[in-house]
Amino acid sequence: MASATVAVGHGADHGHEEHETNYGMSNNKMAMWLFLSSDCLLFGALISTFLLYRTNISDGTVFTEPADVFDIPFTSLSSFVLLMSSLTMVLALSAVKRGDERNGRIWLLTTAFLGMVFIGGQVYEFTIFSAEGLQYSTNTWTSAFFTLTGFHGVHVSVGILLLMGTVFGTRNSGLGKEKSEAVELVGLYWHFVDIVWVIIFTVIYLIPIG
Amino acid sequence: MAIIDRPLAIGAGDDAVETVDRPLGSITRPQESGTWRDWLTTVDHKKIGIMYGAAAMFFFVIGGAEALLIRLQLATPNGTLLSPEVYNQVFTMHGVTMIFLVAMPMGAAFANYLLPLQIGARDVAFPRLNALSFWVFLFGGLFLNSAWLLGGGADGGWFNYAPNSTVTFSPSHGIDFYALGLQITGVASLVGAINLITTVLNMRPKGMTLMRMPIFTWMNLVVQFLLLFAVPVISVALFELTFDRLFDANFFNTEAGADPLLWQHLFWIFGHPEVYILILPSFGIVSEVIPVFSRKPIFGYSFMVASGVAIGFMGWGVWAHHMFVSGIGPISVAAFSLSTMFIAVPTGVKILNWLATIWGGKLRFNTAMLFAVGVVSMFTIGGLSGVTHSIAPADTQQTDTYYIVAHFHYVIFGGTLLGFFSGFYFWWPKMFGYKLNEKLGKTNFWLQIVGFNVTFGPMHILGLQGMSRRIDTYDAGFGFEFWNLVATVGAFIIALGIAFFFVNVAVSRRQWIAAGKPNPGPDPWDARSLEWMTASPTPIHNFDEEITVDAPDEFWHRKYGYDTEGNVVRKATAEEVAQDGSNTNVHLPSPSYFPILLALSMPIISYGLIYSLWLCIPGGMLLVYSMVGWIFEHPDDPNAAHDDHGHDDHGDAPDELAAGDDEGELVGVGAGAPETEATNG
Amino acid sequence: MNRLTPSTRKVVRFLALLTAAFVLAACADNAPLDTRGDNLQGPEARDIESFLRWVLWIAYAVFFAVLGVTLYAWKNFRIKTEDYEDDEFPEQISHNNTLEIAWTAAPAILLAIIAIFTIGLHQSLNSNSENPITLDVADGAGGATTVEWEPEIVVVGQQWWWEYQYHFGDVDLVAQRVETLPNADITTATQMVIPVGMEIELEITSRDVIHSHWIPSLNGKRDAVPGRQSAPWKIQADEPGVYFGQCTEFCGLSHSRMRMQVVALPEAEFQEWVTAQMQGLELSPETAAYVAELEAGATVPPANAEQRAIDTFRTKCASCHVLDGVTDGIVARPEEQLVSGAAPNLTHFATRTTFAGGIRNVYETDTGEFNRNDIAQWLRDPASIKANFTEPVSETDSRLRGMPNLGLTTEEVDDLVSLLEMTAPQEGEFEMFEFIIEETGVE
Repeated sequence: MASATVAVGHGADHGHEEHETNYGMSNNKMAMWLFLSSDCLLFGALISTFLLYRTNISDGTVFTEPADVFDIPFTSLSSFVLLMSSLTMVLALSAVKRGDERNGRIWLLTTAFLGMVFIGGQVYEFTIFSAEGLQYSTNTWTSAFFTLTGFHGVHVSVGILLLMGTVFGTRNSGLGKEKSEAVELVGLYWHFVDIVWVIIFTVIYLIPIG
Repeated sequence: MAIIDRPLAIGAGDDAVETVDRPLGSITRPQESGTWRDWLTTVDHKKIGIMYGAAAMFFFVIGGAEALLIRLQLATPNGTLLSPEVYNQVFTMHGVTMIFLVAMPMGAAFANYLLPLQIGARDVAFPRLNALSFWVFLFGGLFLNSAWLLGGGADGGWFNYAPNSTVTFSPSHGIDFYALGLQITGVASLVGAINLITTVLNMRPKGMTLMRMPIFTWMNLVVQFLLLFAVPVISVALFELTFDRLFDANFFNTEAGADPLLWQHLFWIFGHPEVYILILPSFGIVSEVIPVFSRKPIFGYSFMVASGVAIGFMGWGVWAHHMFVSGIGPISVAAFSLSTMFIAVPTGVKILNWLATIWGGKLRFNTAMLFAVGVVSMFTIGGLSGVTHSIAPADTQQTDTYYIVAHFHYVIFGGTLLGFFSGFYFWWPKMFGYKLNEKLGKTNFWLQIVGFNVTFGPMHILGLQGMSRRIDTYDAGFGFEFWNLVATVGAFIIALGIAFFFVNVAVSRRQWIAAGKPNPGPDPWDARSLEWMTASPTPIHNFDEEITVDAPDEFWHRKYGYDTEGNVVRKATAEEVAQDGSNTNVHLPSPSYFPILLALSMPIISYGLIYSLWLCIPGGMLLVYSMVGWIFEHPDDPNAAHDDHGHDDHGDAPDELAAGDDEGELVGVGAGAPETEATNG
Repeated sequence: MNRLTPSTRKVVRFLALLTAAFVLAACADNAPLDTRGDNLQGPEARDIESFLRWVLWIAYAVFFAVLGVTLYAWKNFRIKTEDYEDDEFPEQISHNNTLEIAWTAAPAILLAIIAIFTIGLHQSLNSNSENPITLDVADGAGGATTVEWEPEIVVVGQQWWWEYQYHFGDVDLVAQRVETLPNADITTATQMVIPVGMEIELEITSRDVIHSHWIPSLNGKRDAVPGRQSAPWKIQADEPGVYFGQCTEFCGLSHSRMRMQVVALPEAEFQEWVTAQMQGLELSPETAAYVAELEAGATVPPANAEQRAIDTFRTKCASCHVLDGVTDGIVARPEEQLVSGAAPNLTHFATRTTFAGGIRNVYETDTGEFNRNDIAQWLRDPASIKANFTEPVSETDSRLRGMPNLGLTTEEVDDLVSLLEMTAPQEGEFEMFEFIIEETGVE
């Protein structure tokens, strides 16, 4: 960590950055941790909403129940893809830390690609649900479901943009060791989004509606 | 994310940079021009703090006018000044404005200006994000109020209970403006929280340990943490409301089986910490002002800090006391009733410690001190009526009556707002280089505190007499006439008092210059904390050189020591200790257009969501454009004038530990001998 | 030596004002919604008040102690600007842990004591006792039957009036949402009639937005939340009388005009009221025949004012309002007309003493005369009495909130007022009615 702060240099907003910060963690990294802790509450509130409405699947009218449309093997596969992207993210970071720019870029792009696969799966799933009669405004369950998974999808998409930005935004300046903290921050975000998905997947797909 | 860190700035740490003063090749980087334009692009935390304050004052006038309309309507039975429709909008917008657009940003104003100064830092951790926070807040507030011109404001009350807030029951766009406007100001709070926490935790100079930070800084640190965790919860609630209203979601649609209590839980999980977000900055101000004008250190520093932190934690476990009559079940009610009672303990500790600070002091009752002491007793009333609310059975009679209106005005007006006024009078010379007129200030204080009690004191009685809150009129014969009239008179006394404040602001500067008074110097009040250790008004770079801290109240300890008998003796004058702001060799972050542009995109997108999604396209383009520009703009203009880009001032500055400065709390063994003799004699 | 400075005098004056305020408050006119003193007629409300009183005394003591210390410090430790010496310092006391721990612990202990009593009171307010009464009720087939009734009333809020349902059969009211409840034996609006001296359990809910049901002289309030039955709440009145209430949760446009009353009657009179409420409207034989023809689908011109009124009611009012014996063949569909899906049942309109959400009197409280003027005005232009949405919800949703302006002619209004007057209690049917009318006056 200490080495990271030294390397930040003018990448930071402020001259103070060149000093050791009080806790040896750079401003950028602390800001990222703070943002993620805040984001926990965002997903916490969304998951609470979903839990409140997860059994509220029919209100007298007949329509498709979510459990009938769920394709657990399919969603498990796309979840697996997302989890694997955490692995490639770790590989990317370690490559950049080593100064291995080429592999760093490759792994970052792989991570982004896996993220896109996941998003593609989500879009496909949404389409199927919608065709089966589970639309956004069908009932409270669908509203909560699409909002929760949608917010997660937006997070993943932002992560993909960050990854692509890291790869393509450094074409001129290179992706050397001194950028390893930047990559680490993108990684923190990416891992967070993955962990959140594990919880969402469990809550929505795995716990049966009693 | 990209807006939080710009790890990819081109040429980071590289001298062979491309010229980046025109990121994206379209906007030329702003340069200091010395005109009002500087304010639009500034990233200086002091200018941003002042803009926060000015904007909050602007909204305060709007919210105050709404308050006066409410009081005029209720002055007599069957008032006809406002139609029920308009009245509902006016009281809603009064609450929303005062809480989200006055009290919160005013707290942010003080925090922005003072936090870096109090810990001895040169700026906040992320100056451009700081600018972003302000502009986002301002545009959010203007967006929210623009509803008045576009068919009427929100009409659901500030806590806007579902399902009364759904399209079926509130078909006008008012509540859309509420939901999106508060969403925008929430972004401002969240970004600000991340920025200020990072600043306080990361940017303290040598020796400034957490337990040496001024109480004001501590209280604001707690506030920023509360914001960090509370804002996302209200964001989710507002998203759900927006999606319900604009995209036919069913979160609050009871016809589809939705549970209206969802909104209440989400709102109050945010809403109760929000109460402490409003009051703690004021507690911090009072804790700064009282010691200075008592010539004593704050009594029980560690208890003051601990109680503030305790309030911050306990504030998360009491939200359902707003829902005692919502039917959440007797067990929950009992639990929340108890947790609410015990949050009074740390608050009580604060009151008693302030009293102990005053006790035996040498008290100077100037305007700042009057307001601070006013907070102590007025907030006590609000706190005590809060205890009566925590008794769940009693609350079933009191809640949603004027008794609760009285309660929260004693807390927010008597606690928060009086604290802010204390802060104005206290820090005005530091911010602007002249003192506010004391005579006008005292008139301001007395009118305000008398008017305040005449307005809100009777509301306790009205509430106990059974007057519901949020009623646009009442019939004669319920015994409400007299006290309502009194309250209306009181409201105008408050307005008069506040008018004196504005007059004071308008005339003091001229009077000061006309009277030929000199600059009040770095330390007009013989104060204790680091912000007084630099020139007034604060130089753009805050401090000439980094300060090494050896004790809480570092500045005071540099001025004074103790003789062998434990008496206070002066070691040095403030002028000797303070830095004069003459170091011009400081490299500062450069101004930028992107914060204001990024902020501007948010209301545009929001108008688009309400009126026509097409409008979201230019808004979204502006958003993306300014984010990308932000990322590729070097935070420090490489072309700006300063010597060696490779080394910032701190490195170049003369030895930070200027000899003699670091003996802080050591007994002034003869160092200030002449003065010692003088005072002891 | 104690000459007062101008600012001292201000403080003294301010304190005098504050004291005067408290004194005046203590002897303010009794208000019908007051939560204190003589206005309280229910054991729950009295328990709450007597406990609150103790806590308020403690609160006064704490406040005046804080104020006292502040004023003492102001008097004794103040340095006037002209006397201010730059180098004079008080003793620099920064902390005293014993003292601080003490004054952390002391309020904690005090609050713990308050907490114990709070829980006790909370417990008693949320418990229900069983005390069924025996009632003779109509059995629906023209005869009468005797039921054991555990006093329990369903309270339903809607924009902007209250409905009260009495179910004498064996219905589990707690478990059901209002939409799924069977038809009540008695459905009334705006005024809840209860037997005196008896604990009444309330099942409070709502059909549209959140309201709050509050009869301050009997007990605290409880929110009416749509889609939920509140945890049971209760009220009890010790004396016969009319007890006023007001909706206390902001519920939209006419929140301030959403009121209600509880009418407490001795058990015998309550039985009389129940018997009367369970009968339909009594019509003359000719009119009854006229209604029967209309019900059969015939188009018959009305022969007199009464029949004209019935015709008007059936064509203009019956899509929302029920008038037993007159609208039986018309299935009222308020759920299609109104956001809340309900309008007051008017069969016994004139047995109630207030209307329009409890804000206007059906009878002049001093003379006891039927208040034709106000009722006519209400029919002619409801919004002039109670703010209303005159437009439907939206272009796609034609439902209304509150009473619409039906554009009735003067004659139609007159006829309808007379029809409503017919719903008044018959001579000797309801002995305490005059007392209730008198009690309804608030001025």
